Amino acid sequence: MLDAIQFSSFAEFVDMGGYGFNVWSVYALFAVFVAVNLILPLRKKEKIIQQLKRRALIDAEIQSEESTDEQ
Amino acid sequence: MWVWFSKLGSPKWFYELSGKWLPWLIAAMVIFMTIGLVWGLLFLPPDYQQGFTSRILIVHVAVAGTSLAFFPLMFVAGTITLVWRMKLADMVAKNAAILGAWFSFITLATGSLWGSVMWGTWWEWTDSRLVSMLFQLFLLLGVISLRSALEDSETAAKACALLSIVGCINVVIIKYSVEWWNTLHQVSSPVSMGNDSPNGPEFWIATLIMIIAVYLFLSVSLILSTRNEILERERRSQWVQELVLKS
Repeated sequence: MLDAIQFSSFAEFVDMGGYGFNVWSVYALFAVFVAVNLILPLRKKEKIIQQLKRRALIDAEIQSEESTDEQ
Repeated sequence: MWVWFSKLGSPKWFYELSGKWLPWLIAAMVIFMTIGLVWGLLFLPPDYQQGFTSRILIVHVAVAGTSLAFFPLMFVAGTITLVWRMKLADMVAKNAAILGAWFSFITLATGSLWGSVMWGTWWEWTDSRLVSMLFQLFLLLGVISLRSALEDSETAAKACALLSIVGCINVVIIKYSVEWWNTLHQVSSPVSMGNDSPNGPEFWIATLIMIIAVYLFLSVSLILSTRNEILERERRSQWVQELVLKS
Protein backbone atom coordinates (compact mmCIF):
# COMPACT_ATOMS: atom_id res chain seq x y z
CA MET A 1 0.00 0.00 0.00
CA LEU A 2 2.86 2.33 0.84
CA ASP A 3 4.11 1.90 -2.73
CA ALA A 4 1.10 3.89 -3.84
CA ILE A 5 2.29 7.04 -2.04
CA GLN A 6 2.99 9.52 -4.79
CA PHE A 7 6.08 11.11 -3.20
CA SER A 8 9.57 9.96 -2.37
CA SER A 9 10.58 12.89 -0.19
CA PHE A 10 8.94 15.39 2.12
CA ALA A 11 10.02 18.31 -0.07
CA GLU A 12 8.27 16.70 -3.02
CA PHE A 13 5.15 16.26 -0.89
CA VAL A 14 5.15 19.95 0.03
CA ASP A 15 5.75 20.99 -3.57
CA MET A 16 2.79 19.01 -5.02
CA GLY A 17 4.29 19.00 -8.47
CA GLY A 18 4.65 22.78 -8.50
CA TYR A 19 1.10 23.48 -7.29
CA GLY A 20 1.97 23.44 -3.58
CA PHE A 21 0.51 26.85 -2.78
CA ASN A 22 -2.87 26.12 -4.32
CA VAL A 23 -3.25 22.55 -3.10
CA TRP A 24 -2.18 23.32 0.46
CA SER A 25 -4.30 26.49 0.61
CA VAL A 26 -7.39 24.47 -0.31
CA TYR A 27 -6.72 21.79 2.30
CA ALA A 28 -5.90 24.42 4.95
CA LEU A 29 -9.07 26.35 4.13
CA PHE A 30 -11.09 23.15 4.32
CA ALA A 31 -9.55 22.26 7.70
CA VAL A 32 -10.36 25.71 9.11
CA PHE A 33 -13.90 25.53 7.71
CA VAL A 34 -14.56 22.14 9.33
CA ALA A 35 -12.87 23.03 12.64
CA VAL A 36 -14.65 26.37 13.04
CA ASN A 37 -18.09 24.92 12.36
CA LEU A 38 -17.59 22.19 14.96
CA ILE A 39 -15.68 24.09 17.66
CA LEU A 40 -17.86 27.22 17.71
CA PRO A 41 -21.15 25.37 18.40
CA LEU A 42 -19.43 23.20 21.03
CA ARG A 43 -18.04 26.25 22.82
CA LYS A 44 -21.37 28.00 22.57
CA LYS A 45 -23.08 25.04 24.22
CA GLU A 46 -20.75 25.23 27.20
CA LYS A 47 -21.40 28.95 27.51
CA ILE A 48 -25.18 28.49 27.40
CA ILE A 49 -25.09 25.73 30.01
CA GLN A 50 -22.88 27.81 32.32
CA GLN A 51 -25.13 30.82 31.94
CA LEU A 52 -28.29 28.84 32.63
CA LYS A 53 -26.65 27.14 35.58
CA ARG A 54 -25.65 30.45 37.14
CA ARG A 55 -29.14 31.80 36.68
CA ALA A 56 -30.72 28.67 38.17
CA LEU A 57 -28.45 28.89 41.23
CA ILE A 58 -29.28 32.58 41.74
CA ASP A 59 -32.98 31.79 41.43
CA ALA A 60 -32.66 29.02 44.00
CA GLU A 61 -30.85 31.37 46.37
CA ILE A 62 -33.49 34.06 46.06
CA GLN A 63 -36.20 31.50 46.70
CA SER A 64 -34.53 30.18 49.83
CA GLU A 65 -33.98 33.73 51.11
CA GLU A 66 -37.64 34.51 50.54
CA SER A 67 -38.73 31.43 52.42
CA THR A 68 -36.49 32.27 55.39
CA ASP A 69 -37.86 35.85 55.41
CA GLU A 70 -41.37 34.51 55.63
CA GLN A 71 -40.48 32.48 58.67
CA MET B 1 -47.23 8.16 11.83
CA TRP B 2 -48.80 11.35 13.22
CA VAL B 3 -47.72 10.56 16.74
CA TRP B 4 -44.21 10.07 15.44
CA PHE B 5 -44.39 13.30 13.46
CA SER B 6 -45.53 15.45 16.37
CA LYS B 7 -42.95 13.78 18.58
CA LEU B 8 -40.27 14.68 16.08
CA GLY B 9 -41.36 18.28 16.35
CA SER B 10 -40.82 18.27 20.09
CA PRO B 11 -37.51 19.98 20.85
CA LYS B 12 -36.99 17.85 23.95
CA TRP B 13 -37.42 14.61 22.03
CA PHE B 14 -35.03 15.78 19.32
CA TYR B 15 -32.47 16.90 21.89
CA GLU B 16 -32.45 13.50 23.57
CA LEU B 17 -32.42 11.46 20.34
CA SER B 18 -29.71 13.58 18.68
CA GLY B 19 -27.63 13.22 21.84
CA LYS B 20 -27.63 9.48 21.25
CA TRP B 21 -26.81 9.80 17.55
CA LEU B 22 -24.05 12.36 17.83
CA PRO B 23 -21.19 10.09 19.01
CA TRP B 24 -21.84 7.71 16.09
CA LEU B 25 -22.12 10.51 13.55
CA ILE B 26 -18.92 12.11 14.84
CA ALA B 27 -17.08 8.76 14.73
CA ALA B 28 -18.22 8.11 11.16
CA MET B 29 -17.28 11.67 10.16
CA VAL B 30 -13.76 11.32 11.61
CA ILE B 31 -13.24 7.98 9.83
CA PHE B 32 -14.42 9.21 6.42
CA MET B 33 -12.62 12.56 6.77
CA THR B 34 -9.34 10.83 7.65
CA ILE B 35 -9.57 8.32 4.80
CA GLY B 36 -10.54 11.05 2.34
CA LEU B 37 -7.82 13.50 3.35
CA VAL B 38 -5.01 10.93 3.56
CA TRP B 39 -6.04 9.45 0.24
CA GLY B 40 -6.32 12.88 -1.30
CA LEU B 41 -3.00 14.20 -0.07
CA LEU B 42 -0.80 11.09 -0.27
CA PHE B 43 -2.19 8.53 -2.69
CA LEU B 44 -4.19 10.32 -5.38
CA PRO B 45 -2.12 10.11 -8.59
CA PRO B 46 -1.56 13.26 -10.62
CA ASP B 47 -3.99 13.88 -13.47
CA TYR B 48 -2.44 13.66 -16.92
CA GLN B 49 -3.43 17.26 -17.68
CA GLN B 50 -3.92 18.91 -14.29
CA GLY B 51 -1.06 17.38 -12.32
CA PHE B 52 -1.65 17.47 -8.59
CA THR B 53 -4.28 20.21 -8.78
CA SER B 54 -6.75 17.35 -9.23
CA ARG B 55 -6.35 16.95 -5.48
CA ILE B 56 -8.10 20.29 -5.06
CA LEU B 57 -11.09 18.91 -6.93
CA ILE B 58 -12.01 16.13 -4.52
CA VAL B 59 -12.47 18.79 -1.81
CA HIS B 60 -14.09 21.33 -4.12
CA VAL B 61 -16.55 18.87 -5.67
CA ALA B 62 -17.58 17.46 -2.28
CA VAL B 63 -18.21 20.90 -0.73
CA ALA B 64 -19.85 22.33 -3.86
CA GLY B 65 -22.18 19.36 -4.35
CA THR B 66 -23.21 19.43 -0.70
CA SER B 67 -23.80 23.20 -0.78
CA LEU B 68 -26.70 22.56 -3.18
CA ALA B 69 -28.56 20.67 -0.43
CA PHE B 70 -29.12 23.75 1.75
CA PHE B 71 -31.90 25.57 -0.10
CA PRO B 72 -34.01 22.43 -0.65
CA LEU B 73 -33.52 21.63 3.06
CA MET B 74 -34.52 25.18 4.06
CA PHE B 75 -37.55 25.03 1.78
CA VAL B 76 -38.78 21.79 3.34
CA ALA B 77 -38.08 23.10 6.86
CA GLY B 78 -39.84 26.40 6.04
CA THR B 79 -42.91 24.57 4.73
CA ILE B 80 -43.07 22.38 7.83
CA THR B 81 -42.77 25.48 10.04
CA LEU B 82 -45.57 27.30 8.26
CA VAL B 83 -47.95 24.37 7.76
CA TRP B 84 -47.50 22.39 10.98
CA ARG B 85 -46.14 25.18 13.23
CA MET B 86 -43.15 23.09 14.15
CA LYS B 87 -40.60 25.18 16.07
CA LEU B 88 -37.87 22.65 15.54
CA ALA B 89 -38.03 22.98 11.74
CA ASP B 90 -37.61 26.75 12.06
CA MET B 91 -34.50 26.29 14.21
CA VAL B 92 -33.03 23.93 11.60
CA ALA B 93 -33.79 26.41 8.80
CA LYS B 94 -32.12 29.25 10.69
CA ASN B 95 -28.88 27.38 11.33
CA ALA B 96 -28.85 25.82 7.86
CA ALA B 97 -28.68 29.30 6.29
CA ILE B 98 -25.53 30.15 8.25
CA LEU B 99 -23.82 26.84 7.51
CA GLY B 100 -24.92 27.05 3.87
CA ALA B 101 -23.25 30.45 3.50
CA TRP B 102 -20.02 28.88 4.76
CA PHE B 103 -20.35 26.03 2.26
CA SER B 104 -20.95 28.43 -0.64
CA PHE B 105 -17.99 30.58 0.33
CA ILE B 106 -15.63 27.58 0.60
CA THR B 107 -16.90 26.33 -2.78
CA LEU B 108 -16.03 29.67 -4.40
CA ALA B 109 -12.66 29.95 -2.64
CA THR B 110 -11.48 26.42 -3.45
CA GLY B 111 -12.74 26.80 -7.02
CA SER B 112 -10.81 30.04 -7.35
CA LEU B 113 -7.61 28.43 -6.07
CA TRP B 114 -7.99 25.73 -8.71
CA GLY B 115 -8.99 28.11 -11.50
CA SER B 116 -6.10 30.46 -10.84
CA VAL B 117 -3.64 27.83 -12.07
CA MET B 118 -5.78 25.77 -14.46
CA TRP B 119 -7.74 28.56 -16.16
CA GLY B 120 -5.23 31.30 -15.45
CA THR B 121 -7.94 33.37 -13.76
CA TRP B 122 -9.33 33.58 -10.23
CA TRP B 123 -12.75 34.74 -11.35
CA GLU B 124 -14.79 34.96 -14.53
CA TRP B 125 -17.94 37.09 -14.54
CA THR B 126 -19.25 35.60 -17.77
CA ASP B 127 -19.30 32.06 -16.37
CA SER B 128 -22.83 31.09 -15.34
CA ARG B 129 -21.71 28.38 -12.88
CA LEU B 130 -19.51 30.81 -10.98
CA VAL B 131 -22.02 33.65 -10.97
CA SER B 132 -24.98 31.45 -9.93
CA MET B 133 -22.92 30.05 -7.04
CA LEU B 134 -22.06 33.61 -5.97
CA PHE B 135 -25.76 34.41 -6.16
CA GLN B 136 -26.45 31.49 -3.80
CA LEU B 137 -23.96 32.94 -1.30
CA PHE B 138 -25.62 36.38 -1.45
CA LEU B 139 -29.09 34.85 -1.18
CA LEU B 140 -28.06 32.97 1.96
CA LEU B 141 -26.51 36.11 3.45
CA GLY B 142 -29.82 37.82 2.63
CA VAL B 143 -31.77 35.12 4.47
CA ILE B 144 -29.48 35.47 7.51
CA SER B 145 -29.79 39.26 7.70
CA LEU B 146 -33.55 39.14 7.04
CA ARG B 147 -33.98 36.78 9.98
CA SER B 148 -32.01 39.01 12.32
CA ALA B 149 -33.86 42.11 11.08
CA LEU B 150 -37.39 40.71 11.48
CA GLU B 151 -38.35 40.37 15.10
CA ASP B 152 -41.60 38.53 14.53
CA SER B 153 -40.59 34.93 14.07
CA GLU B 154 -43.60 34.02 11.92
CA THR B 155 -42.96 36.86 9.44
CA ALA B 156 -39.30 35.84 9.38
CA ALA B 157 -40.20 32.20 8.70
CA LYS B 158 -42.52 33.26 5.86
CA ALA B 159 -39.98 35.58 4.25
CA CYS B 160 -37.24 32.98 4.49
CA ALA B 161 -39.48 30.26 3.04
CA LEU B 162 -40.18 32.55 0.07
CA LEU B 163 -36.48 33.22 -0.46
CA SER B 164 -35.84 29.47 -0.25
CA ILE B 165 -38.05 29.00 -3.31
CA VAL B 166 -35.82 31.41 -5.23
CA GLY B 167 -32.83 29.53 -3.81
CA CYS B 168 -34.18 26.18 -5.01
CA ILE B 169 -34.67 27.54 -8.54
CA ASN B 170 -31.11 28.83 -8.39
CA VAL B 171 -29.88 25.38 -7.31
CA VAL B 172 -31.31 23.96 -10.54
CA ILE B 173 -29.58 26.75 -12.49
CA ILE B 174 -26.26 26.04 -10.74
CA LYS B 175 -26.61 22.32 -11.45
CA TYR B 176 -27.38 22.62 -15.17
CA SER B 177 -25.51 25.86 -15.92
CA VAL B 178 -22.58 23.95 -17.39
CA GLU B 179 -24.88 22.15 -19.81
CA TRP B 180 -27.23 25.01 -20.72
CA TRP B 181 -24.56 27.58 -21.41
CA ASN B 182 -21.11 27.51 -22.82
CA THR B 183 -19.05 27.91 -19.70
CA LEU B 184 -15.44 28.01 -18.71
CA HIS B 185 -16.40 25.68 -15.87
CA GLN B 186 -16.20 22.09 -17.09
CA VAL B 187 -19.10 19.62 -16.98
CA SER B 188 -18.77 16.85 -14.42
CA SER B 189 -16.58 13.99 -15.56
CA PRO B 190 -18.45 10.74 -16.18
CA VAL B 191 -17.63 8.08 -13.61
CA SER B 192 -15.62 5.34 -15.24
CA MET B 193 -14.46 1.88 -14.19
CA GLY B 194 -11.25 1.97 -16.23
CA ASN B 195 -8.06 3.10 -14.55
CA ASP B 196 -6.87 4.86 -17.71
CA SER B 197 -9.84 7.25 -17.69
CA PRO B 198 -9.47 10.77 -16.21
CA ASN B 199 -12.20 9.93 -13.70
CA GLY B 200 -11.25 6.33 -12.96
CA PRO B 201 -12.00 4.51 -9.70
CA GLU B 202 -9.05 5.92 -7.76
CA PHE B 203 -10.37 9.40 -8.40
CA TRP B 204 -14.13 9.05 -8.10
CA ILE B 205 -14.01 6.75 -5.07
CA ALA B 206 -11.83 9.34 -3.30
CA THR B 207 -14.38 11.99 -4.29
CA LEU B 208 -17.25 9.81 -3.08
CA ILE B 209 -15.56 9.30 0.30
CA MET B 210 -15.08 13.06 0.64
CA ILE B 211 -18.75 13.66 -0.27
CA ILE B 212 -19.87 11.24 2.45
CA ALA B 213 -17.44 12.89 4.91
CA VAL B 214 -18.75 16.36 4.09
CA TYR B 215 -22.40 15.27 4.42
CA LEU B 216 -21.60 13.76 7.82
CA PHE B 217 -19.88 17.00 8.81
CA LEU B 218 -22.94 18.97 7.69
CA SER B 219 -25.21 16.78 9.85
CA VAL B 220 -22.97 17.00 12.91
CA SER B 221 -22.52 20.77 12.68
CA LEU B 222 -26.22 21.40 12.02
CA ILE B 223 -27.30 19.13 14.89
CA LEU B 224 -24.85 20.85 17.27
CA SER B 225 -26.09 24.36 16.45
CA THR B 226 -29.75 23.27 16.49
CA ARG B 227 -29.25 21.76 19.96
CA ASN B 228 -27.83 25.09 21.15
CA GLU B 229 -30.85 26.86 19.71
CA ILE B 230 -33.15 24.43 21.55
CA LEU B 231 -31.37 25.09 24.88
CA GLU B 232 -31.74 28.84 24.41
CA ARG B 233 -35.36 28.86 23.28
CA GLU B 234 -36.50 26.29 25.86
CA ARG B 235 -34.41 27.63 28.74
CA ARG B 236 -37.45 28.17 30.95
CA SER B 237 -38.82 24.66 30.52
CA GLN B 238 -38.54 22.06 33.23
CA TRP B 239 -36.41 19.61 31.28
CA VAL B 240 -33.74 22.19 30.34
CA GLN B 241 -33.53 23.34 33.97
CA GLU B 242 -33.05 19.76 35.11
CA LEU B 243 -30.48 19.11 32.40
CA VAL B 244 -28.50 22.21 33.35
CA LEU B 245 -28.41 21.35 37.05
CA LYS B 246 -27.33 17.79 36.28
CA SER B 247 -24.35 18.85 34.16
